Amino acid sequence: MIVCVAVVGHQNNPLYIQSFTEEDDALKLHHIVHCSLDVVDERVNNPKKSGPTLNETFLGLLYPTENYKVYGYLTNTKVKFILVTTDLDVRDADVRNFFRRFHAAYVDAVSNPFHIPGKKITSKTFSERVSAIVKSFGLSSAG
Amino acid sequence: MIGVGKIKQYSNVLDKPLSKGKQEVSLSAFAFLFSELVQYNQTQVDNIAELERRLEDAGYAVGARVLELLCHREKGNRRETRLLGILSFVHSTVWKVLFGKVADSLEKGTEHEDEYMISEKELLVNRFISIPKDMGTFNCGAFVAGIVRGVLDGAGFPAVVTAHFVPVEGQQRPRTTILIKFAEEVLIFPPSLVTVLLWI
Repeated sequence: MIVCVAVVGHQNNPLYIQSFTEEDDALKLHHIVHCSLDVVDERVNNPKKSGPTLNETFLGLLYPTENYKVYGYLTNTKVKFILVTTDLDVRDADVRNFFRRFHAAYVDAVSNPFHIPGKKITSKTFSERVSAIVKSFGLSSAG
Repeated sequence: MIGVGKIKQYSNVLDKPLSKGKQEVSLSAFAFLFSELVQYNQTQVDNIAELERRLEDAGYAVGARVLELLCHREKGNRRETRLLGILSFVHSTVWKVLFGKVADSLEKGTEHEDEYMISEKELLVNRFISIPKDMGTFNCGAFVAGIVRGVLDGAGFPAVVTAHFVPVEGQQRPRTTILIKFAEEVLIFPPSLVTVLLWI
């Protein structure tokens, strides 16, 4: 069950945060996303020689908290996508697929000539597409 | 013979699969739009420098979006962290997508460490434009310079990019050069990797 997705800009400013459950309060989710940014920076700046190569876009599982798992994805422009989920057995391929579609929706939202880079993404189409991707992710991993 | 070697004929035109369409835009449509852009900006400004700056800002917005789009479309994508990597990315991939061919050459400047030049025999945007004498050294290639600046800035390599005419003997129209001057913080990283002169 995906709890929330977030898009964070290259100066660690939030561009888009959307939660998909009603109970959790937004503050806790903001806090989780914010903590995961530190992990992203650490992965990017200190490459482990035996770990993944420095220039991969998909960062994988960032860190597990008490009942959430956080996945990260980094684009070429240092824009980060964060995915927070409560699923216990999420397949790697599913998450990669999710991020690929999310990236496509993000590129379309940024290509909007009325979008100002660095400001929050306010496009309704983007929100709808993200909700559709999240829903299909939930269905595919449950099935 | 007629009919031999043809693809499957559909009896009803509605049954034909939709074509993906060509990933191209007609040159005349672009030339018209670009000329309108230049003319509109000319009415808004008083001097040449301001006009050049406006064209460059327009290009910057395009460059930022082009970077996002290309990085998404490229399979097996890697984030460029080296200067040479991002320059060859601009020189081949970006040029190919925007103008249909790679740029003519990429050179490293000889006087300064942080200068690079991309040259083109004739920029596509300048093809139907001739500059009147009283505009001096103005070059509509400032739009392309803005695109390059947008791409470099988005990738994390801040630079100042300008477009210049370089006269070549034996040719009637001068060659256009895009001059890229990187900011100092870009060059702190290994200078040993960027001492190569590339002729493509």
